[in-house]
Order: sequence, then C-alpha cells, then structure tokens
Amino acid sequence: MQAGFRTGSVGQKRGLWWVAAFILAGLAGAVSATNYSLWINGRNGNGTPGNHADFTYWGPSGTAAGVNKKSVNWDGFNRISNQNYRIRDALDCYCTGTNWCYIAAHSAGNLQIGYAMSLYGGTARYKKTPTANAAGTCSNSDGTTQTGWNIKWVDVAAGAGGGSELANLGSWAVSDPLTSDLKTATARAMYDHNQTRAKWFYMYAGSNGAAQSGLMPGQDDQAVAYHSAGGVSGSGGAAYCNPSDWFCNDLTLGTAANEGGKAKWSYHNVKFRDDNESLNHYTNGNWGGVVSKVRADMAANAN
Amino acid sequence: MSRGTALLAGGCVLAVLLLAWGLAEQDPVTESGASPSGSARAATSGAATGAQAAVAAGVPGTGPGAPYSAEGAQSRQAQLTLWQGRYERAEQIYSSYRDATRYPHESRPISEHPDQVRPFAPVQEETPMRKANGEPAKGVRLRTSQERVFVTGAETVRFTVQAVDAGGKVLPLVVTRASAQSVAETTVLSPIIQSAVNFRDDGSGADTQSGDGIYSAQLQPAQQGFAAFAGTIRMLAQVSAGGEQGVAHFDVVYTPAVPATWAGTRDALEAGSLNFYLKANVLQAGRYVVSARVDDANGTPFALLQFNDEVAAGQREFKLTLFGALVRDKNPAFPLRLRDVEGFLLLADKFPDRAMMARQVGDVHRSARYAVDSFSPNEWSSEERERYLAEYGKDAQTALEQVNRLQGR
Repeated sequence: MQAGFRTGSVGQKRGLWWVAAFILAGLAGAVSATNYSLWINGRNGNGTPGNHADFTYWGPSGTAAGVNKKSVNWDGFNRISNQNYRIRDALDCYCTGTNWCYIAAHSAGNLQIGYAMSLYGGTARYKKTPTANAAGTCSNSDGTTQTGWNIKWVDVAAGAGGGSELANLGSWAVSDPLTSDLKTATARAMYDHNQTRAKWFYMYAGSNGAAQSGLMPGQDDQAVAYHSAGGVSGSGGAAYCNPSDWFCNDLTLGTAANEGGKAKWSYHNVKFRDDNESLNHYTNGNWGGVVSKVRADMAANAN
Repeated sequence: MSRGTALLAGGCVLAVLLLAWGLAEQDPVTESGASPSGSARAATSGAATGAQAAVAAGVPGTGPGAPYSAEGAQSRQAQLTLWQGRYERAEQIYSSYRDATRYPHESRPISEHPDQVRPFAPVQEETPMRKANGEPAKGVRLRTSQERVFVTGAETVRFTVQAVDAGGKVLPLVVTRASAQSVAETTVLSPIIQSAVNFRDDGSGADTQSGDGIYSAQLQPAQQGFAAFAGTIRMLAQVSAGGEQGVAHFDVVYTPAVPATWAGTRDALEAGSLNFYLKANVLQAGRYVVSARVDDANGTPFALLQFNDEVAAGQREFKLTLFGALVRDKNPAFPLRLRDVEGFLLLADKFPDRAMMARQVGDVHRSARYAVDSFSPNEWSSEERERYLAEYGKDAQTALEQVNRLQGR
C-alpha cells in the first residue's frame, strides 16, 4: 500500500465507509436472512392445518420455543404420505433462499420430517418469500430453485419414526389411517431413516410409561418405546431401557450403538434419556411431557 | 436490464469499491477478522481443538471488562455456558457435515445405513401375544415375520408365526383362523375385500419345515381378490398357545400396477466415478426412488447407492454413481458386485405413496476390473454443500466470537 494512500483524510474515508456499510445493509435487507423454528405435531393434531401461528397442539403460543416459531400443523389423522405436503410447504416457505430453519417434531411428526428429508430432501425446491397464506403456502421469491431445504438441525420429542406397538396391537382407534402408518413394520419400511442428508436428529426419549409397560418393549412414555424414541435401527419390538434396569439393554446416550450392539440410525443422537421416568408422551396443552425438554432446547439454542 | 436491476447492480459495485477501500485502510486488529466461511474452516480444522480448549477454560468476570456485580457475574456465567454449548454443537455440526459430504448423499458407505444392508430380509418381530381384549397373554410371546411391507402386481408375501415362552422355548401353536382383508381409508368409501389365508406347519406350500412350530402362509393379492385394490391389506391370524387365545397382526400396502420393469445393467467409469446404469422400461413417468448395494469381490458390503429423480416414460437408464473418492478411501477388491436392487415410483401426496418395481434379489451386475487410481480422489462439490458449509461455519464462528467476548478475549 502506498504511503500517500494512507495519509488521506481519515474523516472523509470513515464517512465513505459508513456510506458503503449503509448501502450494503440496504441491499442485504432485500435478501435478508432469517432463522425460523418449525414445530411439527404428531397424532391427533388439533391445530388448524395451514395456519402456522396456531400452537393449540403444543401449548400457549406466547411460550418461548425458538426464534420466529411456526407451527406446521397437519391433521395428525391421515397418512404420512398424503399429509406430508403440509410439511414440505412449510419447509419451502421458511427454509429456502437465505432463510434457515430449526425443526422440532413430536411423535408422528418424526415420521413427517424424516419422510420429507429422506424422499424429498434432494429435490429442487423453489425459493419462497416467507409469508404464508391461509393454506400454509408461500409465493416464489425469484423463480429460482435450490437443492433441498436449509435445515440446521432437528429436535425430536418422543419420536415415532420407528412406530409404536400400540398401533401394532390396535390399542388406538382403528378408524384412524395414521395408526396403520404407525405400525412398527410399516413405519420402519416407509423410508431410509439414515438418509437425513447429514442433518442431525437430536432424540429426546421419555419413560414415564407405567400404564402401558405391559404393552411395549422396554421403557416407554405411554405411546412410544425407547427403540423408536431413541432412533434405534432395524426391526421394532426390541427392548431398551434406562441403565438402572439390569435385565434390559441400555439405550445409550449420543450416537454410540446401544447395549447389545444395535446401531442407531445415522445422524441420530440421543440427547435426552428419561432416567428418572418422569416424562410421558403428552403435551397436555402446555408444552408438557418430553416436549418440555425439546422446547427448552429450542428456546435456548434455536436462535 | 430494467432500471431497478441497473440501480441494484450499480449500488453493489459502488458498495464493493467503497468497502474495498475501507478494508484496505483498517488497522491490523480489524484485518485479522476472516470471512465467515474462511474463519469457520480455521475454527474447525487444526485450530479447532485449541479453540475449544480456550472456550472451556474461560472464567467470566475476570476479563478486561471486569469487575461485575455478583448478579452481573452470574448472568455473564449463564451467558457463557449458553454460548459454550452453542459453540460445541455448531462446531460438531460443521465438522460432521464437512466430513460426511466428502461423498454425495446418494453414494455412501453402507456402514451408515445399517438396516439397508439386507433390504430383502423378512421383517421379524417378537411381541407379547395379545388376547382379544387387548391384554397381554402372560408368558406367551409371538415371533412373526413378513417378507415385505410394500407389494405390487403379482408379487407374493410370506408370513410366519411362532409362539415361544418368556425364555424363548417354542410353545405348541394352533392357528385357528386367518384372513386378509382390505382396510378402508376413512376418506374413501369402498367395499371390504376379504380372503381366507391358510397358515400351515406341514412343510408344504409356504411352509419350509414340517412340525417346527413355525406356521407359514402366503398372500398373493392379485390372485386373492385384491387385483383392483390399492391400499392396506391386513392379515389377522387367530392363534392359540399356552392355553391362551390371541391374534397375530400383519399389514401390507398393495398397489396393483407395476410402474416399470428392469431391462439389464451396465457400468462405466466416467469422470473418476463408477456409474451403474440400470436399464428400465418405464411405463409410468414420475419420480423414481432406487437403491442398490455394492459388495467388493470378497462379498463384503461396501456402499449404498441411491437414485431419486424424475424419469420419463420409455426405455430409460437409472444412473447410480459409486463416487470416486469413496472407492479411493475404501479401496475395495474388484470386480465389484451390484446386488439387491429395489425401486419404486413415488406418488406424491397419495396413499399408497409408491408403486414398487420388482425386486432384483442377489447379484445383479458384476463390474469390470478397474485400478483404484483410475478413480478421482476429489471430494464432492456442489452448491448444496457450499451453502451448508458456509452457514454452519458462520454459526460456529459466531458462537466462538460470543464465547471469546464473554471471556473478555
């Protein structure tokens, strides 16, 4: 750098620096990057499908649950496949272009996000302007596409990605098409659960399941057993427990294979195991059960 | 160029020129700040360990900004703990993504897909036997298997059921009645289709061994009244074991039309990777999802290849790529064997959501012999990967800066 250049008027240059910053800030505003927190409900969704502001399923909407939170309501009644467009629409809205998403899913919402990412995660997606209409869809921003969505990570409470023995046994109402998808054999065959395109699924597993303990293998939260909530690969039916149970293989924390050697699905990490058997499956309309742990993580880290 | 576009472009040029000037005049401290992606690389490569150690070692309230009130120090400590956690997660996400995407998502070490190694193995489960009222029958468990979940066209499905006690000892079992019936989707009015199914343990039909306590049955939907049906077929077998009555319960998802048929395979070394071309006569255009396994010459499972793309009707080839760097890294013995190919037409927003192609079981194709050094060692490069590395790197860098700030560095 020439000495003469450095000796120019500092005040003049400082003024121009801020002009440049101002111009760039203005330009950046046109393509501003925003993070969103998407919440995907499970069975018996009682929010209004397409209304991303309706947190009825979860609890009071004023509760902190991650930056710019949106409720990806689907009906929680019909098949994963014919409701999955609700999830893909929301991902298109908030997780394309310069915008990025944190995802939280509960129960069958685990199947919804897993299905979307495994089967559609590498497809061309139109970049959207993140303002949803009543149907939960957004308009294209610039007409261009990108491969897949912009997802930072996924938190899963009481995940039913591996199905539930309650569905196997017909313990839930059989008039519900979703129950057929929740059979363990069907849920596990639905898509390659390892194919997350290297995005992490953080699994939170509850074990306050005394009422259903005779119906499900190992520890459970009254609706799903640890083999599912912990993202254990392979067939359903395997029993996994807390370390305090000497007669049952441990569900391990983290990504390591479980006691007995069975691996977790790839990019699945058990963040929370309910060693105190204190959390059940249900939100109770107040971000309750295992969801409380995911909510806390989203509030703290989805920023 | 529109006036708006011209103004935008002009603004960009002006801003970049001004910024370049400004940056050139910054003092050395400011100049040390790297770009988000560049600094993330520094944070997550060799320097990462040191950075993490520094992050862990910090004590709030003792930096240049100290002292703080007790309350202030406590708040600062909480903030530090929060940002340390964020940094740890962000750093792990960045480095695992960077390492994983050395290969494309469709060409993976099969060790990452532990339940995809033997895709055609029957689905086996063991559950407590259920009585008619839903209660578990004490001391009796049912071991069941089903050959497949998704069924198309003239395919058959084999089911087995066996009773065991809590210790795994086989119990005498009687299948008193079994039938398959269509499950109505509540949104669709349709007649119920029902067909009796014969479970047997006499070594005939679907049963492989007489008197072993494993009862077997076979369902062929197209021949048993379901030829025009698409949806769930539920098989219920009433069983008796250990003095208790119970039910074995199986579901399959059936579609009558086969969307495409296989027509051979070839391979070619192209651009440093090995491409397997699976030929097919595509009857129904749409998005096809195909997967295949690659074993080395010794039969050791090595890679999982996947295809997911739109395909037009007609004579087509599904290209499954074995990525060059994966071959270089794993150094498999040639020739490679492509085996166990499964594929389906993905039907968006419908149930059933897929129409299966026929399974190709076992070895489907043996590759030519290629020298390992004929494969490219280059890691995968794509817009998707760069986008993710930039964002994940930015997150790691932001968190690190916050940790440093809170530590007074």
